[in-house]
Amino acid sequence: MAPFGVDLDYVAVAALFCIGLYMLVAKSNLLKKLLGLNVMETSVFAFIVTSGMVEGGDPPLLVAGAQPPFASPIPQAMVLTGIVVVVSVTAVALSLIVQIYAHYGTLEVDELKERP
Amino acid sequence: MSVAWEQLLPWAVALPFVGAALTPVLAARSPRWTGPWAWGVVLATVAVTVGLVAHVAEAGAFTYAIGGWSGAYGIELRFDRFAAWVLPLSLLFAVIVPFSWRYVVVSLEPARWGAFYALLLLVMGGMIGFSITGDLFNLFVFMEVTSLSSYALVAVGGRGVAAWAALKYLFLGAVASLLALLGTALLFVLTGSLNLADVAARLGPDVARGPVLIAFAALVTSFLVKAAVFPLHVWLPDAHAIAPSPVSAVLSGLVVKTGIVGLVRVVQLFHAADAVPLAGFHLALAWLGAVSIVMGAFLAIFQDDLKLMLAYSTISNVGYIVLGFGLAAPYAAVGASVHVVNHALIKTTLFLAAGALIHQTGFRTLSDLRGVARAMPQTAAVMAIGAVSIVGLPPTAGFLCKWYIALGAFEADRAPFGFALVFGALFIFVYYIRMVNALYFQAPVHARVAEATEVPWSMRAPLLLLAASCLVLGLLGGAPLAFVEPAVAGVLPVGGP
Repeated sequence: MAPFGVDLDYVAVAALFCIGLYMLVAKSNLLKKLLGLNVMETSVFAFIVTSGMVEGGDPPLLVAGAQPPFASPIPQAMVLTGIVVVVSVTAVALSLIVQIYAHYGTLEVDELKERP
Repeated sequence: MSVAWEQLLPWAVALPFVGAALTPVLAARSPRWTGPWAWGVVLATVAVTVGLVAHVAEAGAFTYAIGGWSGAYGIELRFDRFAAWVLPLSLLFAVIVPFSWRYVVVSLEPARWGAFYALLLLVMGGMIGFSITGDLFNLFVFMEVTSLSSYALVAVGGRGVAAWAALKYLFLGAVASLLALLGTALLFVLTGSLNLADVAARLGPDVARGPVLIAFAALVTSFLVKAAVFPLHVWLPDAHAIAPSPVSAVLSGLVVKTGIVGLVRVVQLFHAADAVPLAGFHLALAWLGAVSIVMGAFLAIFQDDLKLMLAYSTISNVGYIVLGFGLAAPYAAVGASVHVVNHALIKTTLFLAAGALIHQTGFRTLSDLRGVARAMPQTAAVMAIGAVSIVGLPPTAGFLCKWYIALGAFEADRAPFGFALVFGALFIFVYYIRMVNALYFQAPVHARVAEATEVPWSMRAPLLLLAASCLVLGLLGGAPLAFVEPAVAGVLPVGGP
């Protein structure tokens, strides 16, 4: 599918990326910022996964009757690793947010900036 | 048959990672031994890197294919003359870890000792992996290992304030990493390969220019954020000032250099492919560097907090390195490459000495620390030697690289950048003079400063060793310059500036 000469998945990826960036920059709540970061990361993963698609390709498994062309397995391996990285980042960020809330009693950036 | 030196390559990464994984196990039984254990792991890594550097000096760049899967299929480790900075890197860790022993005992509860040393080892392993990998995706993974451990290390000592600084660092760092992943993904889609050399070979003239430029811009922006070059530096001051002092030394001296190493790798890649207008890029780098030098120094002048001042000074010094690469002249690139190492040494010296002062007196601003040199003459002397080095006065480690970068500016016929460099050095001189003046020539205002005692030997010996290295590297600084010289042609634009 390529209306206006651009594949739909690229449009979706760009849209997700911008939505995530908007959340990260514009939202004042730390949890919402973190969610925005996760949306951005998801958009890049979606971009990588879709790049592995081969038109009419089979799964890259060596079974009886397997016919080339095959879909590329590398993007999926990359995304799996990427997900592990992002889960770790999210976990560290959440634990920091818990500490911030325990100390300041708020998660709003504009209120945090006013405290010493 | 000679020793297969390339077999050592995976050990440089595996040792710190396995050591880090075992540290919490040890901590559960006896937290006291985690420090010596971490030191042992670091020393073993130093031994490995010595072997690697000796081999690269003799035989040139070499590779190791993990699991026997070579080139485009597997992950490749590659060791060249730029990667040789892992030797000074691990040597600095070998000094920072013993310095931390007493510091950790006083400022962290025993339950966190294991985590502290494990994270330090992870940062070291991540940076070594980042420097020696030959694979784009692997570059991203190691960058994330380094960054994630750094976020945690910033927060390890304190409660709310440190967590807030760490979270600001995390948000910007995560976006930067994401941009690197995006650039990696674009290059993979365009070329079907992740191996750096292979990608360079496949980026022929038939590959679409637009996406290549986006990938280039994403990777470069990502590494400039990690390196904290001026407009992208906002995360650095708080994170570096609030972290425990040994961690500040690691972050400011070493972790920001992952951005520089990343830049070098990207420029090497696109240099080989000749796919983007590198001359214009180098000019932009030179401007960014010049602005960074002046702004970092300007902001540092107004700081009263000792560690915050040192953090801003890192922005200036990263500016010197970026300017050196941006000038696109062999002299300047050599100077910049060596300044990566020398600044790491000097900034570690300064942060550890500042940590020692803060540790003994409990004060962290210049106005409170006035006159401390009378009570702690040795630590103050180390601080002064560090200050002289970072300003770049002969005969210290900072002089040679800055001299080479300035030479490069005139060699490339870009004298204004040379003047920016000298102007920045004057600024830096001003605030370090202010620091030395406060430490030496003003009367103490607090009784605790006047009655402070020198730090214990486990902290003093590393400090004196570092200060001595600052002087030795200034006097014998020719060797590192000569070592890196054959490699810099790979990061200069084709056909000169």
